[in-house]
Formats: sequence, structure tokens, C-alpha cells
Amino acid sequence: MTEARITEVLKKAGALRITRPDWKKNGLRLSAEIAPEKIQEVCSLLLKEGYTLLDLSAAEFQEGFLATYHLDNFQDPFRLALRVLIDREKAEIPSVASVYQGAEWHERESADFFGLKFSGNPNPVPLLLPHDLPLPPPLLKKPEALASLSALNFLGDELYSAPPEKAGDEDRGKGDGKDA
Amino acid sequence: MDLSLLFFVKILVAVLAIIALMVANAVVMVYVERKAAGFIQRRPGPYEVGPWGTLQAIVDAMKLLGKQIFVPANVDYVLFFLAPVLAFFPVLLLFLPIPFGPYLTSWETPDGIILILAFAGFGVLSNLLAGWASNNKYGVLGAARAVSQSIAYEIPLILALLAVVYQAGTLDLSVIVEKQGSWPWGWNIVCQPLAFFIYLVCLVAETNRAPFDLPEAESELTAGFHTEYSGMGFALFFLSEYANMLLVSFVCAVFFLGGYKGPILDGFWWTFIKAYLIMFFIVWIRWTFPRVRFDQLLNINWKWLLPLGLLNLWITAIVIKVVG
Amino acid sequence: MPSFNFVNPVDFLNMADSPGTYAGDFYTLNFEKNATPGNVILNLGPQHPSTHGVLRVLVELYGEYVLRSEPVLGYLHRMQEKMGEVKTPYQFLPNMGRVDYLNPISWNWAFAGAVERLAGLEPPERAEYLRVISSELNRISSHLLWWGAFVMDLGGVTPILYAFEEREKINDILQIVTGSRLTYNYFRFGGVGADADSRFFQLVEEFIPYMRERLKMYTGLVTDNVIFRRRLEGIGPMDEDLCRRYGATGPILRAAGVMCDARRLSPYGIYDRFDYDIPVGPSNDCFGRYLVRLEEIRESLRILEQAVKSVPEGPVIVAKAPKPTYKLPAGETYFAVEGARGQVACHIISDGGKTPYRVKLRAPGFSNLSLFAEAAKGVILADAIAILGSLDLVIPEVDR
Repeated sequence: MTEARITEVLKKAGALRITRPDWKKNGLRLSAEIAPEKIQEVCSLLLKEGYTLLDLSAAEFQEGFLATYHLDNFQDPFRLALRVLIDREKAEIPSVASVYQGAEWHERESADFFGLKFSGNPNPVPLLLPHDLPLPPPLLKKPEALASLSALNFLGDELYSAPPEKAGDEDRGKGDGKDA
Repeated sequence: MDLSLLFFVKILVAVLAIIALMVANAVVMVYVERKAAGFIQRRPGPYEVGPWGTLQAIVDAMKLLGKQIFVPANVDYVLFFLAPVLAFFPVLLLFLPIPFGPYLTSWETPDGIILILAFAGFGVLSNLLAGWASNNKYGVLGAARAVSQSIAYEIPLILALLAVVYQAGTLDLSVIVEKQGSWPWGWNIVCQPLAFFIYLVCLVAETNRAPFDLPEAESELTAGFHTEYSGMGFALFFLSEYANMLLVSFVCAVFFLGGYKGPILDGFWWTFIKAYLIMFFIVWIRWTFPRVRFDQLLNINWKWLLPLGLLNLWITAIVIKVVG
Repeated sequence: MPSFNFVNPVDFLNMADSPGTYAGDFYTLNFEKNATPGNVILNLGPQHPSTHGVLRVLVELYGEYVLRSEPVLGYLHRMQEKMGEVKTPYQFLPNMGRVDYLNPISWNWAFAGAVERLAGLEPPERAEYLRVISSELNRISSHLLWWGAFVMDLGGVTPILYAFEEREKINDILQIVTGSRLTYNYFRFGGVGADADSRFFQLVEEFIPYMRERLKMYTGLVTDNVIFRRRLEGIGPMDEDLCRRYGATGPILRAAGVMCDARRLSPYGIYDRFDYDIPVGPSNDCFGRYLVRLEEIRESLRILEQAVKSVPEGPVIVAKAPKPTYKLPAGETYFAVEGARGQVACHIISDGGKTPYRVKLRAPGFSNLSLFAEAAKGVILADAIAILGSLDLVIPEVDR
């Protein structure tokens, strides 16, 4: 029931793809792939649904950076993962700090670790690392160590996929390789 | 005023004795305070140095003496070093008019309490200077708090003492003691309970002790006005804090608890017993209560103590007029 | 607010003596950009008696009113997530005791649970019971230390030593099974590290009534103190909406009236077998958070009481427990447990290699602290300290 409603909300907000991971194994109820420019809108819709942003964990893959926003509801737990695939060269994503103020710190942390840029973050200074760190962002991997997101395939059964003309013109929408 | 050579010798001897008393008091009180704190907190307290840890205070003092005096950058040198001295020395004067025993007053002056109240203001001046001169924002905040707190609490304190002065009809401390008589029911704590209570609250606030230790509130301002002081500078503040405690306790004993009078054997021992009971009370509440907030502290004063003090004074005046 | 203009003494003295020597560091300058001239910028920390560790909070003061504040983190940052990526899960497990040294068992559980989920391991019954018992004992000891430290923030120095007396007993109990007294490393993938003997259970059973007695004393000693209540009641209200926007969990959220507890709502381990309540605060101010935590100690005791009685015999770790070189199967998992400070979670992505591909630790203190700036807007400095204390921060956990 919650799943149907949230799927509806995500569809309306323009999720590229919605999948249902295995709860027993993945600990997630629903996973949705969102285009970077839609993330703010999706978050504000989910805030109205009573969802909170618990965590933001980014990771680097061959296809680019995958930012995973973990959301949950306080009263009716239903853990969501919003995935945003970020272009490696641009490494920029709109900040959701205007919706979830707590995201400011999570974003700054990811910016420290991966060198991502969150456009619109109200205070874009390093949070955990020194501002004059003479090293590249510490969690970036060597190119040969990068895993392929499509090969990993941890996203689960597909529930919905955006119509091809919408997903097709998005270059980054292709990295999912769901048809394994 | 009698300005003979004898008088000066007497004052000199008295001042020396008072310095000895202040230092001895600090040594004793450090030990008592730490042992009492240990007892209240269910731990042994100092027990390593000397028998039962009795030499702890002396070792502490030696440590403070041996410490480097660290002077932070951009301080006002004159005021920075003047402040602890100014905290310590005026307290000497305050002990002069206290009648410790029947014939044991350093300076029998008819206006003893005026002298005490006038010079008590130096304490806050030193706090202000210490906070301001040490080029530290915590220091300035602590100094600002110290000034507003001391000035606020001096008023009900004076009102409480004034009620007793009305009743006794004199400013001479010895006379006030004599008028109270030997028996506890004759003491002012019985006929001026409200004044005693007001004085007790003000006494804690004036000496900057917990729960009213706002100027040095360590969880907010690290150490308030004496944040930047180490070694002897800190030791002087420490010494003057205990000396101030001792002074207000003596004044309390003289004004409300019959001074050197007791049911048997009048003498200075009664003054000391009473004063140290008050001291122990101050120590006790320090380790028991959390700290009040600054606005609450001022509210207690301006909204409760001051009106109560005025009311008490007014009632005292009417009763004296009607009865006396 | 008082119309009382404060001259920054540093600026004043600099003008007089040596102009230009005072500059402040990167964060101070960054914070100063938005400051109103004439207000004092004060650094609370990184060495400050009531930031409990090395938290640094920049505050802009107008008199004693906090106009703006910004926590500055990173003084205890150890890059745990990088360590998770370069070590095998087995090697990384002891790090979990160091992330939050006051509540390590929850972190143990979060990481071990995440690995078990991905590996499909099912710990034996006895291990599940030992996990619950150690976790609840650790929750009590964490709350006790918070209780003492919080009262100390308010100027009451004595209670922390009372709290340490009880904490000492818990340390003694947990030492029997974990072998350590602070940074426990008790859990293993598929079970726990050591079996408990009868002495352990006996000590736990003795501890429960003792702690109940002590809680009564706490009420008389601290909770009913008039100064204490005046300092806390109505200070720092944090409602559900604020918690939601900042992702705050744990006692803060429950004090706001939301019954949100991972133990109840998304049960892990065997928490669905016990009869206990999730305390929900009467008010969302500092005092409400205080009461919720004390009430949680009571509920933890209830869980302990039931758990100790029904521990089954058997092994404490699965027969084929992962070896130190164990490789995680490829995949992703997110596992959340209810720590003493809120939801502790671990997000692991594995590509099937020797070490996990990505380990993300979700520290409750991190999210809880992020709402401080909003909650402490316009309060007096002393209240800001009370709010900071009521968040129950452990800096190593915030910084990871």
C-alpha cells in the first residue's frame, strides 16, 4: 500500500526507474533512479509525504558518481533509496538543502570525500576535511579499481521505467543495465 | 579619630594577622572543600599527600607558585597584573572592623559596616579589570556578568543589613553583637529571619559561588574573567575568593548569629564556629545545585530579593517606631 | 534584546596596539562574512569544558544572545569510511568500537548486521540474546554518562560521579564477555565473540533492581530540582518538523512525540520478542529529552530482565563463521539499528572484491548536531549550552 503510493509519487515526480530491492538482503524497500535536476522536486514531494533524509552516501563507479539518498518515514518505516547518477566530468548536482536542511552537512561531507559540487548548498566549505588539504578527495578510486554499476546490478526487480523518449535523451539514464 | 603611633602599630599588626588568617583560611578551606566535595560525590577526596591528604592544599599552593605566568598576546599589561592584586588586597581592609572577640577588633570604628560595604566594591572592580585586560572574549563576558551581578546583589544585601542596623540603632559591629545577647533566641536570625535569608542568598551571589557562579561559569565561559590567569595570578583570585567567603561569613555571624556571644564562654571561638558553619553551608550548596541562568539570577534579585528587602526594611522601621 | 552594543575587545585592542595581527582561521573568516559588525564572534571549542571532546561551535553573540551559530567539525575525523574500503570487513570490525566509544555495541551491531545481511548469515539464538543484553547494557551506560555530563553542563558537578558508579558496574559486566571496558569489539559476523558464563547473567540480574533504585534517587536528586527544571523547561523546542528536515532521530525525535524506534518499527535481532515501551516525551524541550532518556533506561532494564531469563543454550557463533579473509558477495545493503543517540546505520556496497567497495556509516550524532544551528537561534549562551548538551553528542561519532 505504501509502496503503491510512493511509487505513484515518484512516478509523478519523474523518476527514471523504480525498482524493488530485496528487503531481507538489501534493507531497502524501494529504489528510484532520479535525474539530477529532478532531485529537489522529488525530495520536496517526499517531505510532504513525511519522509526524512537520513543519509546521503555517494560512491564512484565507472559510469560516474552514484549518490544514494536514504529516506525513511518516522511513523511508517519504508526505506527508500533515491539514486542520482552524476556525470563524472561535471560532478555537479543540485543541492537539496533547501528542502532538507540537514542535507547541507551530508552534501558537504560528500563534497569533501569525492570532490562533488552541490550547487545551491548554503555553506559550501569543507566540513570534515581541512580546507587546505593538499590531496585529492580521499575516496576517489584508481581508474582500474572502479566497478561497473551495470555489472553490480544491486537494484532489484524493476517496477517501473520511464518512457524511452524521456530516458533516452538522458545519457546518464543508460548506466543501469537492468536487463540482466 | 585616634591617629597615634599606637594606632598604626595596631593596624599593622592586625593587617599582618589578617593576611595570615586569609592564607590559613584558604589552606583549610581548600582541604575542607575538597573533602566535602569528595564526601558529597561519594569519593575519598584528597588522601595521598600527608595524613588523610591534609597537606594537599599546601602542595597545590606550591604548584601554583611554581607555575609559569603565561601572558597572552595583546593584553593590557598594567591592568592584567593589577587585577589580581586588586582582588586580594582590599579584602584586608574589610576585616579590620570585624569584632572577632570581645576585645579582639582590629579597629573599633563606629561606622564599621559602612567601611565593609564601601570596600567590598573593589572585588567587582578587579573582576572587571581582569576580564577586560586579558584580551579574551570569555573574560569580557565574565567581567560583564560579574559587574551586573555584584551591583545587583549589593542592593538587597545592604537592605538586609540595614534592617539589622535599624534595629540595633548603630553601625558599630561590636554594639550590634552586644545587643543580640548570649542566647540564640535573642540573635537577629530569630527576629530578622527574612533579612537573614536575603543576606544568605546575596552572600552566595556576592562571592560568585555556585549556584550563582555566573562570572566564571565553567561550562559556558570556560573560566570567565580569570580564563587567562595562571600561576600566582590565579592563586590570588583563588585566595581572594576564599577571603571574601570568610568575610561575608563573619559579617553574617556578627549581624545575625550573635557574633562572639554564645551561651557559655563568650569569645572569638564563637565567631569562628559560626562563620565556618556558614562557610560549610556555602561549600555544601556549591556541590549540590546546578547553576542558574544569568537572566534568572537577575530576576531573583530584582523581582524577589529587592522587594522583599524593602518590605522587610519597611516593616522593621514601622515596628521600631511603634514598639521602640 | 538589550540595546547594548558590545565592542569586540580584540578589535579594540588591536586598533590600539598592533593592527592586523588578529586574523582568525578559515572557518572564522567564513563565518564572519555574514556577521553584523559590532557583534562578537566567539569560538566555543575545540577545547571547551562543555563541548565534550573537540567540537567547535562558532557563535555570533549580541550581548549574551546567540544570533547565529555554526558547528565546525573535523577535529576528530579519522576517515573511517576509507579504512572500511581498504580493510577486509573482518579487519574493519574493531574500528566500530572506536566510532562511538560510548555506544560501541550498536555500531558493532550495525556493521556486523549489514555484513550478515549481505552474506545471508543467521546468528544462533544464544548469540541473539547476548547481542540484546550487551546492547541494552551499553545503552544504559551511554545514557548514564550523558546524564552526568548534561547535568555538569548545567553546573551541577556532583551527579556525574554518581552516574559513574553505575557505569562502572556495567563496565565490569561487559568486561566479562567483551574483554574491554570502553571500545568493545564483541560482535562477529554470524554471532558474538565470546560466550557468557553464569557469573555474567548473575551480575546482570543483580544490576537490574539496583539500577531501578538508583533511578529513583536520580529523580529526587536532579529531576525534581527547581533550578534544574527552570534551566530546561521550554528551552530548545525541537518539533517533529524540525527533526524531519534535519533527519534527527533517537531521543530527540521521541521527545518530539514521534514513536520512532528501529527496535520497534523495523525490528532487527530478536527485539520483537520482548515486551517493552518506547518512551515518548511529554514535551519537546530539553527537559523532555532528559525525561525520555531516563525513561529509556527503565525500558532497557525491562528488556534485560526478560532477556536474561530466557537465554537458550547453544553455540554463540555460526559453525562456518567468516574467516578474516572473508570476501563479501557483490551487492548492496543498508542496515540500521537503534543506538543510544538515534539510528545507527551502515550502508555497504560490495563488488565481490577483497574489501568492500564503499562503506558509509550513518552517525546519528551528525544529523542531530546539524539542527543545533537552527535550534539555538536567539537563545542565551547558557541555553545554547543546555541545548548542545541535550543533543547527547559524541564527537568521534559525529566526525567518524
